[in-house]
Amino acid sequence: MKWLKKGSVILSSLMLTVAMTATGCSSSNNGSNNSPQASSGGDSAAGGLKPYEVVMVFPDAPQKDNELVQNAMNDYLKKTYPDMNVTVKLNPIDWGAWSDKTNLMMASGDKFDLLFTADWLGFQQQVTKGALLPLDDLLAKYGPDIEAVEKNYHDPAKRGGKLYGIHTHQELGGAQGVYLDKALVDKYKFDLSGFKSGNVEALEPMLKTIKENEPGITPLVMPSFPLDAYYSSGTLDQIGNLAAINVKGTAADDFTVINMYNTPRFLELAKMTNKWYKAGYTNKDALTPGLDAWKKIQAGQAFALVGDMDILANMEIGSVSKSPNGSLKAGRDMLQIPLNVDRLQTGKMTATMQAISKTSKDPERAMMLLNLFFKDKNLLTLFNFGIEGTHYVLKDGQVALPDGKTNNDVGYYHDNMWQIGNQMLNYTRVGEDPNKYKNYEKFNEMITKNPSRIFGFVFDPEPVKNEMITIDNANKAFVDGIKSGQLDPEENLPKLLEKQKAAGADKVIAEAQKQLDAWRAANGK
Amino acid sequence: MSTQKRTHPLIIAVLSLFSLACLIPFWLVLMISIADEKEVLKHGYSFWPQKFSFVAYQFLAQDAEKILRAYGVSIFVTVVGVVVSLFVTSAMAFSMSRKDFPLRGALSIYILITMLFSGGLLPWYLVYTRFLHVQDTLLALIIPGLIGGFNVIIMRTFFTNSIPPSLIDSAQIDGASEYRTYFSIILPLSLPVLATIGLFITVSYWNDWFTSLVFIQNEKLFSLQYLLNKTLMNASFLQSIANKAYSTTAQVTQPLESIRMAMAMIAIGPLVLVFPFLQKYFVKGLTVGAVKG
Repeated sequence: MKWLKKGSVILSSLMLTVAMTATGCSSSNNGSNNSPQASSGGDSAAGGLKPYEVVMVFPDAPQKDNELVQNAMNDYLKKTYPDMNVTVKLNPIDWGAWSDKTNLMMASGDKFDLLFTADWLGFQQQVTKGALLPLDDLLAKYGPDIEAVEKNYHDPAKRGGKLYGIHTHQELGGAQGVYLDKALVDKYKFDLSGFKSGNVEALEPMLKTIKENEPGITPLVMPSFPLDAYYSSGTLDQIGNLAAINVKGTAADDFTVINMYNTPRFLELAKMTNKWYKAGYTNKDALTPGLDAWKKIQAGQAFALVGDMDILANMEIGSVSKSPNGSLKAGRDMLQIPLNVDRLQTGKMTATMQAISKTSKDPERAMMLLNLFFKDKNLLTLFNFGIEGTHYVLKDGQVALPDGKTNNDVGYYHDNMWQIGNQMLNYTRVGEDPNKYKNYEKFNEMITKNPSRIFGFVFDPEPVKNEMITIDNANKAFVDGIKSGQLDPEENLPKLLEKQKAAGADKVIAEAQKQLDAWRAANGK
Repeated sequence: MSTQKRTHPLIIAVLSLFSLACLIPFWLVLMISIADEKEVLKHGYSFWPQKFSFVAYQFLAQDAEKILRAYGVSIFVTVVGVVVSLFVTSAMAFSMSRKDFPLRGALSIYILITMLFSGGLLPWYLVYTRFLHVQDTLLALIIPGLIGGFNVIIMRTFFTNSIPPSLIDSAQIDGASEYRTYFSIILPLSLPVLATIGLFITVSYWNDWFTSLVFIQNEKLFSLQYLLNKTLMNASFLQSIANKAYSTTAQVTQPLESIRMAMAMIAIGPLVLVFPFLQKYFVKGLTVGAVKG
C-alpha cells in the first residue's frame, strides 16, 4: 500500500510533466512548421515573384548568432534586391554529423535549396542518386556573375554532360613543399639553395645535423602520407585510385595510363623515406590515427614538415619566404619553400562546390541568390564575417574582432570563406597578408597557363567498381607502411604491385585508358 | 568451517586486477585533463604529469551555460525516459504474460519481428519527422527509446515465472480491478526485474547521442553525450579532410587534448555519482523480491 501511494504520486506527477512538455513542444513545433510553408511560394511566374525562402545547407559548427546574421542578410536582401523577393535560411550542419544528416535530408525529400558539396563529401553519389539538379540552363539564365569568373572551369563538375556543381571562385590549385623552423635554420646557417632543384632530397643534410645536435627534436615530422601530396601532384595527373599519367620526364602528348605506384620517382622517394626512417630522421608514430604534425612543431619538437604551402605572391620553386599561416599555426617563425606548383587539375575544381537540391521548390531563385554571392561583397561579408560592429570591425581594410572579444565569445566566427561565392571579393583578417587575394589572382594566372594534360576529364569508376574495392584492400596492407618509410620498398613494393595485379589493376588501367581515349577523341586533344 | 568461508586468494587477486583495469583508464583520463597542455604534447599521456594545470576546466567553465543546459537535457530525458519506459514496458510485458489475454501470441510475434528486423534508418527518421513531427523537441529524444523488444521479453519471462496466476485470481476475487492488481500487487513484487531493466534503460538513455544527431537542430536541446561526441567528431573529421586540397583558406582548429579529457570527466560525472545509490536500491530490490516471491 505504501508503495502504491508513493509510486502513484511520482508516476502521476511525471506523467503530467510529460504531458506538459508534449503539449508545449508540439505547439512550438507547429509554429516553426508554418513559417516555411507560408514563405515557400510556387514557381516564379512572369508577373512579380512570390516571396521565397532559400535554405542554405553547409558544413559549419553552429554559431550562436546564426539567426541574427540571417536576419541581417534578409534585411539587406530586401533593401537591395526588392524585386528578387527572396529570404535566406542558414542551415549549418556540424562537420561530424554532415554525411548522416545530409543523406537523411536527401533520402526523405526535405525541402532545401543550396547545398555545399565536394568530391570528398560524396558529390558523385549525390549525382548518381539524383539528389542534385542539373544547372546548365539555370546558370545560363541567372548566373552571369558566376560565368564571369568561372566559365572555363565547369567541365570537372559535369556528369553525363550536365553540370551539377558551381565551383567556389578561389585559388585554382596549391603548392607543396617544405616548412622549416626558422630559428634552427638560423642557428645552423643551413644553405637552402639546394631546393632550387625542386627535389626534397636537399633536406637530408639538414635532417642529419638536427638529428646529431638537437636531442629531443624530430628532424622531419610527418603524418602517414609524408610526401604524397608532393609526389602525386608534382609527378602525376591522377585519374582513379591507382590509374594516373606520369608527367615527369614524358612528352607533353603522352597519354599513357600507368599504375601510380609503378614509377621510378615513387620508388626513389619510397627508398629515401625508408632510409630516413631507419636513420631516425622521422617520427615513429607517423601512422597513429589523428596525429597532428603541426602540434609537434608547436610544442617545439620538430624541425621540418612536408605539406601544402601558403599561397604567396611569388611562388617560385625553391624560393624561401616566411610562411604567414604556418607561423601562426606553429606559434613561431616558419619558413616555407615550395617544391612543386600544381597544374590546373580536374580534382581541385570539384573540391569546393555549391549545388542545388532536387527538393528545391524554386531552383531559379536559388541560382539567383548564388549568383549574388559572386557579385555582392556586402552579402558575402555578412555570410562570412557577420555584422559589422557586432561580430567584426574593420581595421585598415582588414577584418578584426571587436575590442575585448575572442573568437569563442563573439557569437559568429567561422572559416567558411572557401565554401561559397567569389573569394576575391572578401576582406582578409588581421594577421593575414592584405594582398592575399591579389596573390591568389596572380597565382591563378600562373596555374591556368599550365593545365593538366587531362583537365576536364572525369573517370567513371562504375565499370570497374569491384576491382577498385579489391585494390583498396590490397593497398591497405602495404601503402601506408611504404609511404611512411616503415616498410622497405625494395622488398614490399613488388609485393604490393603483385597484389594489385591480382586484384585487377590491369583492368582498371585499361578501362581508364579506354575512357581517356574516348574523351580525347571527343575533345580533340 | 572457517577455511570454507574465507574467500579464495585467487579470486581476490583476479577481482583486484579487474578493478584496476577499470580504474586505470579512468585515472589516466583524469590526469590528462588536469595536465599542462605542453607537457602532454611533449611527453604524451602519463599517469602523473610533471606540471598540473586546470586550464581545461577553466576553459569549459566559460562554456558552462551550454554544458549545464546539456546536462539538464540529459538528466530530464533520462529520468522521464526511464520512468515512462518502465511503465510502458512492464504494462506490455504484464499483458503478454497473462494466459487469459487473447492477443498474447500475436503480440509476441510482433515484438519478435522488431527484434529480428530493423526498419532501417530512413523509415525510422520519416516516422518521427513526417508522421509524429517530433524533430527538434525533447520528445524526439524520449520516444524512440521507450520500448525495447528485448526488455519486454525479459519482463514477460519474469512475470510468467515468478508470479503465480492464482495470486492474480485471488486479488480479483477480493475485488481488485485490473489496474489495482497491476499497481499494488504486480509492480511491488517485480522490483528486481524493474531495477534490472531500469538500469539498462538508464544507461541507454544517458549514453544516447545518435538520436540527438538525427533529430535535433536546436543547440539548446543537445544532450550532453551529443555535445561531447560532436566536439570529438568535428575534430576527427576536420583532421581527415585536412589533407584534401580543398583550400588553404580553411584553418583547422583542434580542441586541445586536455579539454577533450575534461569533457569526458564531466560526462562521466552523474553516472558515477548516481550509480552507488542506484546500486543500493538495486540490491535491496533483489532481496525484497526474493523474500516475498
